[in-house]
Amino acid sequence: MSLSPGVLLRQGFLALIALFLAAPLIVVVSVSFNATRRMSFPPTEFSLRWYRAFFSDYGWMASLERSLTIAGLAALVSVAVALPITYAIWRYQAKVAALLAGIGGALFLIPGVVAALMLSAFWGVTGHVGRLENVVLSHAIVLLGIPLSLLMVGFRTIDQAQVEAAYTMGARDSDAFRMVVRPAMTPYILCAFVFVFVLSINEYLIAYMVAGFTVQTLPIKIFANMRQGYEPTMCVAAVIFMAMGFSAFALMSKVADLPRLMGRTRPLED
Amino acid sequence: MRAAELSVQASGVATAPGRERWVLAGLLTAPGLYILIMAVVPAFLMVQLSLAHREVAGLWSPGFELTQYRQLATPLFARIMGFSLMLALAGALICVSLALPAAYFITRMRRRAQVAWLVFLLGSLSLSEVLIVFAFQVLLSTSGTLAGALTTVGLLAPGASLYPNFPAVLTCLVYLLLPYVILFFYPALSQLDPEVEQAAATMGASRLSTFTRVVLPMMRGQILTGVLLVVIFTFGAYLTPLVLGRPPQWTIAIHINNAAMGAGNLPLAAAYAVSVVAFMVALLVLTRVLSRRKASEA
Repeated sequence: MSLSPGVLLRQGFLALIALFLAAPLIVVVSVSFNATRRMSFPPTEFSLRWYRAFFSDYGWMASLERSLTIAGLAALVSVAVALPITYAIWRYQAKVAALLAGIGGALFLIPGVVAALMLSAFWGVTGHVGRLENVVLSHAIVLLGIPLSLLMVGFRTIDQAQVEAAYTMGARDSDAFRMVVRPAMTPYILCAFVFVFVLSINEYLIAYMVAGFTVQTLPIKIFANMRQGYEPTMCVAAVIFMAMGFSAFALMSKVADLPRLMGRTRPLED
Repeated sequence: MRAAELSVQASGVATAPGRERWVLAGLLTAPGLYILIMAVVPAFLMVQLSLAHREVAGLWSPGFELTQYRQLATPLFARIMGFSLMLALAGALICVSLALPAAYFITRMRRRAQVAWLVFLLGSLSLSEVLIVFAFQVLLSTSGTLAGALTTVGLLAPGASLYPNFPAVLTCLVYLLLPYVILFFYPALSQLDPEVEQAAATMGASRLSTFTRVVLPMMRGQILTGVLLVVIFTFGAYLTPLVLGRPPQWTIAIHINNAAMGAGNLPLAAAYAVSVVAFMVALLVLTRVLSRRKASEA
């Protein structure tokens, strides 16, 4: 590739975008390794003391564990709900399933604060308030659009000729599922799970409005600390978030065809 | 087409008549109930709540009154909605004009570079708003580098802070939304046939005019939907204006939250929320009409 002005301009533009997106993260990561209590950037002296403080603090550890539990369960529920719906659409073109998927997708399109209010009113009316499962079920429904669309992409990639061949050879639905559908869908299911997991662990407003006073997740605890003033351990919590998010998606790119998952259908050579 | 044929054939071969209905019932009952209870019921509940009668101490009783909606017919509410929309449109303008070329360049990269960008974008889009707002607070604080650099250059008075103010809110919103908008444009741009661009190039069009004359017109509907996406997100944004803005920069989300959690007036919060959703639906219809009209013109 020659370094024409056009190429330089393009690379420069993309570099600026990357810098913009990376800048706040670089600041937080470097401040977390700073030895002083004062928030100063660039850091003056390297130290791991805030990491030690974070991992030996009962409150932070409890929040981290709570967030991981909620995210794991929410991802499980939302994938478990999306899978039969998308399968019914793909296999039977069921109108009811399409309707359910439509409602699930629509929820993803309403402003976050409205969804949070709706769900907090709902739990208030049921009288079942301040519980961990409220957050799990609320996250699972709001994020349902993600597994719905990712699993739909997955089902579309299944080679219809292969399924057809299986049926003409007398295969039953269960055989076709085991031989063709399951292996093809495993990476997509995994990706949907990871995606919901990561978004749930980062979600603040719904968790706060549904059960925030009693179920303190990691984002809620960071925000509560922010209001009380700066504390270097918050940066450590932030770094943990980033590390989890980026490694989850890096892992996803190893398991699945990421460009295709994000909606590219045109073949892409290496 | 193939899928339809296949299903007809499959139901002939593998499924007895009537069996399909039982299979579907088995598949869809539990997910259907879950969606009904967790999505449809809360939506109706919110509408009912907005018409309910407010009692003391954060309580309410079912009713059918327009008290809360009447409270919305004030200049204050119009100002809040107007500000939220203005913020959203400013954010949309910046996001779309950055995201379109960025997504276009990314879709033309080699696979490895594309995957790296996708991981980076997905990673940053999933970061908690709490975390981003906190990072911006650190970045913009009086003792931060940015303020220091600006003070040295003389653009900022010593000791002055870069937030809370409108630019800080807008920058943080753009930060939060940019990965979303790039990823939103990604599928459509990656579907564009490279041959179309090559054809334009052989006919003597420069890369820039190919982009503006061939690529952009094809993306009209997508661009409008992208703007809508930014508007929806901005109306729902809570932490960014709260932490990085002053009360005049508070969006509708903060007022909804304050009514619900602070003042304990759930009916008012619900009336706000219902109005926001109605506004979104109106915008959605508008973008549909606009993109259809533009498509028929093209």
